[in-house]
Amino acid sequence: MDIKPIPVPAQGTTLDWHLDQPYRAKHLLLLIILLAVLLFTGHRTEMDKMVVMTGQAVGNVVGLADDSQVVRGLSRVGESMWPPALGTEEEVARLTDLDRNNLPFLASIKTHERVEQKLNTDTLQLEEQREQVEVLVKPLGYLWMVFIKMLETIEIAIWGTLFSVVLSIPLAWYAARNYTYNKFTYTLARGTISLLRSMPELIVALFLVLAYGFGPIAGVLALGLHAAGFLGKFYAEDIENADKKPQEALEAIGAGKLKTLWYGVMPQVVPQYIAYTLYILDRNVRMATVIGLVGAGGIGQELKGRFDMFQYDHVATILIAIFIVVFLLDQFSARLRAKLI
Amino acid sequence: MIEFKAISKKWPDGTAALSDVNVTIPKGQFCVILGPSGAGKSTLLRAVNGLMQPTNGEVVIDGVTLTSATARTLRQRVAMIHQHFNLTLRMSVAANVLAGLLPVVSTGRAILGWFTPEHRAKACALLERVGLTPKHVQRRAGELSGGQQQRVGVARAFMLDPEVVLADEPVASLDPKISREILSLIRDAARERNATVLCSLHQVDLAREFGDRIVGMRDGRIVFDGTPEEFTDERVEALYHGAQWEDHPATEVEAELDALQPQLVAA
Ligand SMILES: Nc1ncnc2c1ncn2[C@@H]1O[C@H](COP(=O)(O)OP(=O)(O)O)[C@@H](O)[C@H]1O
Ligand SMILES: [Mg+2]
Repeated sequence: MDIKPIPVPAQGTTLDWHLDQPYRAKHLLLLIILLAVLLFTGHRTEMDKMVVMTGQAVGNVVGLADDSQVVRGLSRVGESMWPPALGTEEEVARLTDLDRNNLPFLASIKTHERVEQKLNTDTLQLEEQREQVEVLVKPLGYLWMVFIKMLETIEIAIWGTLFSVVLSIPLAWYAARNYTYNKFTYTLARGTISLLRSMPELIVALFLVLAYGFGPIAGVLALGLHAAGFLGKFYAEDIENADKKPQEALEAIGAGKLKTLWYGVMPQVVPQYIAYTLYILDRNVRMATVIGLVGAGGIGQELKGRFDMFQYDHVATILIAIFIVVFLLDQFSARLRAKLI
Repeated sequence: MIEFKAISKKWPDGTAALSDVNVTIPKGQFCVILGPSGAGKSTLLRAVNGLMQPTNGEVVIDGVTLTSATARTLRQRVAMIHQHFNLTLRMSVAANVLAGLLPVVSTGRAILGWFTPEHRAKACALLERVGLTPKHVQRRAGELSGGQQQRVGVARAFMLDPEVVLADEPVASLDPKISREILSLIRDAARERNATVLCSLHQVDLAREFGDRIVGMRDGRIVFDGTPEEFTDERVEALYHGAQWEDHPATEVEAELDALQPQLVAA
């Protein structure tokens, strides 16, 4: 601790006191420019139109406007989403290995009458044809399917997270200024991290689906690569900012870089690492539902399929499932984090 | 034996931390480096294990000159005890002490924390030697008091049976009673191994009590070199005259500051 004397001004010096206004013309000019830019981009992003449409929607709801495109669209989707789909029906005729005496849990066989309009080639008239169809009804079949797909999504997220942790450890080592070997390895590691971080998962997944085909491989890799950039950067910064004192003690006896990192740095940063990793897991579960949209496996792939077939009741089930899982995971990781730090 | 041969150190900002220091410390001596803040004590100690590269001159330990080629092997024979203990606070006491062996255990063992039974037994013996009890072994170092942390620091330093012990203000942040206990531990443990101790201090009474020899430093130069008996009150006055005070335990700093301010302003 350095104790410095407090400087005392020499006798007779006149002190120049002044306290200026915080703003000047320069600031006003900047403000005007900022407003102009906002107006310009606001028009380009149709913010003006958004305000009008939202106003119409609000007016329609309270009974002032008689039509609103937004309300129409939303209510059409809303109506077809309720109630969410829970069960499945499959034509028995198509199920080759069905054992009638030993049906799956909760399942039952029902008979529907199917009415079809057919053209009679002799009379050239449309005739109604009635046909008895047997269907296997599983009252919770779709729920079960969503559960399986959700599980797959979580598995994709977990493997993506594992992959990113494994990949980011060497990246962090080379990207930490005080542990990297030389300027070249440092630049290379930092460059790789920036590159990984700058590639959005969705786009990476799009390309990986081309390379590995539809399914979870593309999902795991896409999530892992992006998160590795994120984790690498944060791990490296933690290593750089760790308390230097224990490191100096180990360096002083010649313990070597790796052992110094393990004994002088790791114990300090592990709680932080776990917090980052949990955040990534959390984020990966949300992201895994999204990248399924481009065919990278999991619930997203199912969502996309149902959306494209306008089966909004199925979509509703999926959305509720996603919401529940994300909520539970959020609670879980918050609790774990609180316990660790 | 440690020989400082014409050591000078100029930091990039132009501070001359050491100017032509020549000292020889014979084997087994407890040599106290005494001096006010900024005298260059830390800089001098850090020259012995190569944490600081001198601008000029060289350090010779038992006939081996410290160079980048010899640094790795020499460092294993030179232990260091730090002012701020420099323990890994979130790690157990046991792991902190075992970390003193890192230069000689394989990387695999170190990473797994799989130390040999002899090494574990040695860690326990040293912890007992410095006055800790079995209940401390698995505690986090950060949960110990300052005095206990420095005990762990001392145990860690002696894990490799060093020939040289560098202690940089080991008791600067401890109260006088604990300070004496810690310095006794360092002195006795070093004597048992016939190790040379270079210990920087700023408390004159402790220097007189523990030093076989006192080297007084001021502004990067040696201004006194002799036995505690020769280090008279006039010498003390000459060494510290007009100097700033050294680090104090955090609790004392404020009171100290208040007491100092009128003096400094008047000066
Ligand atoms: N890394 C550094 N860079 C620049 N100057 C330094 C550095 N370390 C120490 N100094 C300066 O060298 C001088 C001696 O410092 P030091 O050896 O720490 O003194 P002491 O341990 O006796 O208090 C001081 O003036 C200090 O400011
Ligand atoms: Mg110092």
